[in-house]
Amino acid sequence: MRSGEMMFRQAVRPVVGRLILLAAAQVGGAAVSLALPAAMADAVDRVLAGRGGGWAVSGIALLLAAAAVCEVSAEIAAASCGARATATLRRSLLRRILAVGVSGRNRHPAGDLTSRVVGSATDAGQIAVTVVGLATSAVTSLAGTVLLWRVDVRLGVVLLLSLVPALLLVRMFATRMSDLFVRYQELQADIAARLLDALDGIRTIRAAGTLDQEIARVLEPLPDLSATGAETWARQRSVVWRMSLLVPLIEVAVLTAAGLAVVQGRLLAGQFLAAAGYTTLALGFLNQVDSLAELARATASARRVTEIPGAAAEGPATPGAAPAPGPGRVTLRQVTVRRGGRAVLDGVDVEIPAGYAVAVVGRPGAGKSTFAQLIGRLVEPDGGEVMLDDTPVTRLDPVALRRAVAYAFERPVLLGETVHEAVAYGHEPLSRAVVERAARLACADSFVRRLPEGYDTPLADLRLSGGEAQRLGLARALVGEAGVLVLDDATSSLDTVTEMRIGQVIAEDLAGRTRVIIARRLAAAAGADLVVWLDDGRIRAVGRHPVLWSDPEYRAVFGRGDAA
Amino acid sequence: MRRPGRTRRGWSLLAGELARQRHALSRVAFWSLLEGVPALLSGRLIAAALDDGFLRHRPAVGFGCLAALLSVSVVGAVASRGMFPWLGATVEPLRDALVRRLVGGTLADAVHSAGRPDSPAVARLTGQVETVRGLVGGMLRSLRRTAVTLVATVAGLFTLAPLLAALVLPPLAVSGTLFALSLRTLADRRLAVVLLDEEIAAESGEVLGGVRDIVACRAERRAAARVGEAIDRQAAAVVRLARAGALRTLVVLLGGQLPLLLVLAAAPWMIRQGQLTSGQLVGAVACLAGSLLPALRSIVNLTSTWGIQLGTVLQRLSESGGVPAPAAGDRKPPAGSPLRASGLGFSYGPHSEAIVDALDLDVTEGDHLAVVGPSGAGKSTLAQLLIGGLAPTGGRVTFDGVPLDRVDPTHLRRCVALIPQEAYVFAGTVRDNFCYLNPGAGDRALDAAVDTLALRPLVDRLGGYDGRLPSGGAGLSGGERQLIAAARVYLSPARLVILDEATCHLDPETEARVEQAFLRRGGALVVIAHRISSAERASRVLLLDGAKATVDSPERLLLASPLYAQLVGYWHDDAASGARRGGRGI
Repeated sequence: MRSGEMMFRQAVRPVVGRLILLAAAQVGGAAVSLALPAAMADAVDRVLAGRGGGWAVSGIALLLAAAAVCEVSAEIAAASCGARATATLRRSLLRRILAVGVSGRNRHPAGDLTSRVVGSATDAGQIAVTVVGLATSAVTSLAGTVLLWRVDVRLGVVLLLSLVPALLLVRMFATRMSDLFVRYQELQADIAARLLDALDGIRTIRAAGTLDQEIARVLEPLPDLSATGAETWARQRSVVWRMSLLVPLIEVAVLTAAGLAVVQGRLLAGQFLAAAGYTTLALGFLNQVDSLAELARATASARRVTEIPGAAAEGPATPGAAPAPGPGRVTLRQVTVRRGGRAVLDGVDVEIPAGYAVAVVGRPGAGKSTFAQLIGRLVEPDGGEVMLDDTPVTRLDPVALRRAVAYAFERPVLLGETVHEAVAYGHEPLSRAVVERAARLACADSFVRRLPEGYDTPLADLRLSGGEAQRLGLARALVGEAGVLVLDDATSSLDTVTEMRIGQVIAEDLAGRTRVIIARRLAAAAGADLVVWLDDGRIRAVGRHPVLWSDPEYRAVFGRGDAA
Repeated sequence: MRRPGRTRRGWSLLAGELARQRHALSRVAFWSLLEGVPALLSGRLIAAALDDGFLRHRPAVGFGCLAALLSVSVVGAVASRGMFPWLGATVEPLRDALVRRLVGGTLADAVHSAGRPDSPAVARLTGQVETVRGLVGGMLRSLRRTAVTLVATVAGLFTLAPLLAALVLPPLAVSGTLFALSLRTLADRRLAVVLLDEEIAAESGEVLGGVRDIVACRAERRAAARVGEAIDRQAAAVVRLARAGALRTLVVLLGGQLPLLLVLAAAPWMIRQGQLTSGQLVGAVACLAGSLLPALRSIVNLTSTWGIQLGTVLQRLSESGGVPAPAAGDRKPPAGSPLRASGLGFSYGPHSEAIVDALDLDVTEGDHLAVVGPSGAGKSTLAQLLIGGLAPTGGRVTFDGVPLDRVDPTHLRRCVALIPQEAYVFAGTVRDNFCYLNPGAGDRALDAAVDTLALRPLVDRLGGYDGRLPSGGAGLSGGERQLIAAARVYLSPARLVILDEATCHLDPETEARVEQAFLRRGGALVVIAHRISSAERASRVLLLDGAKATVDSPERLLLASPLYAQLVGYWHDDAASGARRGGRGI
């Protein structure tokens, strides 16, 4: 949470100047509104006394003009404060999510994160503006009370006495609404996440004809949402109607005291009006219930923005650490990774010599992908250390690490506008020749050439098959000529012939680089210089494939348990 | 640039949904009338309290008037208490209806169109529904109340001092016209903000969906900078909107404050003429400053912010997700699963190369058919043709002798199940996921499926059948997801199961176990093969090569087809290498 608060302070810092302007304009506006009842009372009394009111009326006109200027400035300042703070929050939230990387992504689905960047950040960005507004309104109320006091002490006492229950009501409202708003937003996010799930599985839904069932499933939290919504109305009602009773009660109480003063000759008719005006101003704070509701919602949103854990730091933990583009030896020392209390990897100790092709094998859930993600610091270990050429990866600066370790995934997410940009992603600018070379190595060149605009075809226009996406993902990994190449099931969607060709590329064209290959195919293990056999998060064995092959359990990993 | 006039469809969407809450709205209207009573009478009562009471030294009358003022206020408070449930009853069903419309429309669109849906756009829409709820709720609470106050105040002023009221009306009318004219600029700028909001959502959705890849490419800065640019433009647009909105201060000045000055300026003359009493003047000023001015300010503010925003958002909502009617089928045929393709052909256009051409194929009970061929040979297209997901451009597919497009879709989907490569796992319990196609399956059926597919360790890890899976099956490996999808179909009543590379993320041993499980389960199995070993296990192999297709037993195909021999050759070379070869690289 502390890093969350820090983020928040960062969001407010750039708008401090504007906030001061906003406060000044609002205070100016408040001062004018405080001067108005007296000016009006004066004018009315002059008129009633037959003394003419020309000067007084022009004074009021001036005050009104000043009020308008203040109001316009306040409005623009408020908008620009809110917009800037929102922008800062959005940027830093994105940075944090990207800094936390893969492990954070596991905890929050993309749809949920997007709704935080888009929706919650907007609400949270309004906090400073809302607080300033509430403060000004509180000050105005206070000043109104003081001025009422000056018109007649008794009026002030009546007002003060009646303020106590009013403030209690406001407090009740604020505390009651906050948790409800959190609950409401959670339910809303649940529906959005369910809908995104369904869209991801649309092919299954299409094939199974379960559209209606899906609609029902996505809408499952709707009754809850509806009930929570109804509850917010019920709670608002319980406060608002009391308030709408209390405010006139106080006004009438003050007016009664004022009327008595008029009868006793202590007040003029115009001052009676001033009393009414100051009472309204003093009670203005109570009308801020909506702002309080807004503040409650904004606070709930801020919680959603700040609860995304921040990474320790973006970039190198130790500044000035040597970027070490060495030969590419990868060492894992007593590495443990936990997910939700379960050790995905448990005390893994292994060294991958530079230039080796290493196959990581094991049954599903053995921890192969996590193993792969550790090398390029996509996930941080909970214990132990990952080193690249004797330098812990935590001490490498990100750019050096990118040059050193490249990834290709089973289901790559292709980013950038065009096919060219998707391959060059993270290395821009790159010439077409370099991109083409990488694509050729990945057996992607031929199908890219058949696209309407070749490498300039916008990604948005493409419907890539799993195999095509994998080949572009592989090209992206090859484009940077990293010393360590991690292929996490990166050819699983290819047909046998293409996979064989890419296997040859990896063996021949990429010889000399360290290649870490997560694959289920026997060929991968058979062709590797070394096999790391993972079993339930632990190293079962490290050795050469022909040696391991004599173990029936090893053969069973490839579905060859019974045939030697 | 879209013109604000184009928001008409959005408003009619709202009107249509609100029309259903007629009952609740009529209650709201009723309580609104009561709520206006204080504004209508307060000026008069204050005037009377002064004129007839305090200024004439008759405090009893003054207090009486104030007591009346209080009781009138009680009426107002009771009205707002009575109103609230009806506000909720209007707004909450409206949100429910919009969410239903959105979810139903989006999913139906996605199912009936061939492509992949634009997920971030959908995420955006769910946010917009919430905006509509907030805005309609706010408008019903505030805008309605202030409009009532405004009307009641003007009416009250007329009963108090008609001449003064006549002074008030012209500037009010002028400011109203000015305001109406300024709405168009406001709407344009508001729309610009909304479009930029959508751009931010689209950009950040893409980035947040690809966090792993961005981090792997160390392109965090680039990705953040791209979204950041949209974020900054949006912030600038918000400020531009606020500048346009500043005009409304002028409107308030003209319509609310000028009348006040006019009244004060005219008062000396009117009092001299005996047309105005002190009480009336005080009452009128109290009315103007205390009720009319705040009401006008609030109306102008609300209309120019919420109203414009609501119109824009509604328009965006109405443009998305029209609910298409699903095609109805004929009567269901008798049970059984013979599927027959005759002369089946498919191409994407009249001039495109055929993907499937003149294919004849029979799949009968107990069959085990493997479909093999290089990438792009049309294997998945064939699978879609067999389940009626694509309409053939030549020949036909029949199910029990009935052409697919005439089979009752519900029945067809019950009998034929296809598992695609991308396994579908959704947020819910393990049981929900397993019983998706057979909601009636009990624990014993679940146990049998789980044991057959060797899923017990996974189920235990997830916390048993009632353990919860996160959205999108986050934290599960691709293979684990595919096993869950397999178990789901295993539990379903389907007699013909098509695995469209549905086991590609499993290791070969598990893949074999899954296929064998389906064979023992009975019915027919069609495997779009990812590995050649799937073909070797099959009783028949359909080899697709370009538009040419060959069906035969794996043994005979090995002798007859060089392509098949080549595919098998790679595989066997691969398998044999396990025992013999070592460090050649792969």
